[in-house]
Amino acid sequence: MTVALLVGRLLRRGVGGTLALVAGILVFQLLEPLIADSMGGAQGLQSLVETLPPGMQAIARLDPQFVALSGLAGFLSFGYTHPLYLVLISSAMVGFAARSLAGEIDRGTIAVALARPISRRSIYAARVAGLVALSAALSLAGTAGTLIGVLVARPEGELTYAHLVQLTMTAALLAWAIGGLTLWASAGSSTSGRVVGMATAVLVISYFVDYFADVWSVLEPLAPYSLFNYFDPAHALVNGAIRPLDAAVLSLSGLIGVVAGALIFDRRDLPV
Amino acid sequence: MVDTGHASSDNSVIVTKGLTKRYGDVRALSDVTLSISRGVIFGFLGPNGAGKTTAIRILMGFLRASAGSANVLGHDVWSNGVAVRRNVGYLVTADALYPDMAGSAQLDFAARLSGRSPRLRERVREAVELDEASLQRRLGTYSKGMRQKLAIIAALQHDPELLILDEPTDGLDPLIQRNFEALLRELRDRGTTVFMSSHDLAEVERTCERVAVVRRGGLVANETVADLKRRYHQVATVRFAGDVPSGLTAIPDVQLVGREDGVVHLSLGQDVNALLRFLATTDVRDFSLQPPRLQDVFMDFYDTDDIPADRRGAKERPL
Repeated sequence: MTVALLVGRLLRRGVGGTLALVAGILVFQLLEPLIADSMGGAQGLQSLVETLPPGMQAIARLDPQFVALSGLAGFLSFGYTHPLYLVLISSAMVGFAARSLAGEIDRGTIAVALARPISRRSIYAARVAGLVALSAALSLAGTAGTLIGVLVARPEGELTYAHLVQLTMTAALLAWAIGGLTLWASAGSSTSGRVVGMATAVLVISYFVDYFADVWSVLEPLAPYSLFNYFDPAHALVNGAIRPLDAAVLSLSGLIGVVAGALIFDRRDLPV
Repeated sequence: MVDTGHASSDNSVIVTKGLTKRYGDVRALSDVTLSISRGVIFGFLGPNGAGKTTAIRILMGFLRASAGSANVLGHDVWSNGVAVRRNVGYLVTADALYPDMAGSAQLDFAARLSGRSPRLRERVREAVELDEASLQRRLGTYSKGMRQKLAIIAALQHDPELLILDEPTDGLDPLIQRNFEALLRELRDRGTTVFMSSHDLAEVERTCERVAVVRRGGLVANETVADLKRRYHQVATVRFAGDVPSGLTAIPDVQLVGREDGVVHLSLGQDVNALLRFLATTDVRDFSLQPPRLQDVFMDFYDTDDIPADRRGAKERPL
């Protein structure tokens, strides 16, 4: 009951920004099928990709063979590895995790709950519940955008609607991992700005490691250390599956962050 | 300290023993031992940085003591903080309230988190004079004083056994301050204990029965306001019709602390009879006696290291 009350308050605070990000994700994914349709469906896309020089294909991470094999589903999955999508989903998760603990400590608003007969674990559990709810909302928004776009534009090519479940799950796992790790930083800090800075730095490095590992063999050994290495929406949307290793790494990353944050928050001084 | 689960048999609501808080090499609070009985208004005084807020945060379970123990309402504040806070009303700083909520929604939210009905809400609202229409507005539109009033209502509305108030009247106008003081006395008479810090020493003097003074993290006084003032000398100002007679300083327990154009300022103890008997033999035009004020006592703790305690009180008087 108390946790539900706190979750409600957390989600209402900053709801405008969160809704804007959710809407942004939905609209962005909705555009993908429209673009696919305007290019003549899966075949048109393949032709287009083939016209690109190999270097450009590598930088754009567009493999004509992949497009040929995966068709419309493969093309739609590009919307989920696009930097804009990753920025939107990361912003929402980092923002919530930073704001809900470090931000509240910074402003002192956490004292409203701390001064009441509520354990720190309950206060923390509310943040975790908020993370789960937000992960679900963001991943569902992306899927909803894709689905609406496909239904509206009806682009040429095959898409198995059931695979949208796996797509939603893999997006939710990425959001959960980002949110959990950020909550860990947030539990130990007293200013949200520092948490946002740290999380952004880690995510940017993680993204570029994953990106350049594809095009520069020197960085290839570092790829397993990137969170984005385990985010494969193409596999989810084309094959309707999530690799067990990917699911394990993403879910455990989030879980480790959440548990480590709980241990810190339970013991730390709260100068409010 | 053992968590007894109920207030200790000597009726103490707050008990600290050797309470210490260190931040690295800095001691924010040092070896503070206190015992505060039920049904009193207790003032906790000290300048900025003396350790008052640190002590309050430890009592609320926000900070963990480096050493010593703190027991509130029979419960250890760190290991059983939830039980402590069930019967405590804590005044959060006015800036810590949610600016996106309406005043009434904020109060409802606080009451639901407390798990108790806000049965005192109307009484406190009347005392601090925050009107119903204002409660319907978002906090972002409130002035500092209005936010402080709302924070006070949120702290008191569930009628807790113990109130922990850090600078409760900060930002309130004098009339509301007086109303609030009357409310605290009313609650005290019903058995509520109040632990409050304040920079307004006149307010503390009007409201508190006991005070503790902290300095550089350590406790330097803990007694009733009356006893504290009794230890300090009164100042008598006498204007003579003619020359100042000799022999004034020969009166037991009287010291001359200032002299100007037929006017003398004398520091004296609690017994004024000897001075009055002497003055009866002289031609006095004017006589006034100023009892020690808490402000003088307080200032002495902070300004005076080397004046013996039995002579304190006269130093700060205007001459």
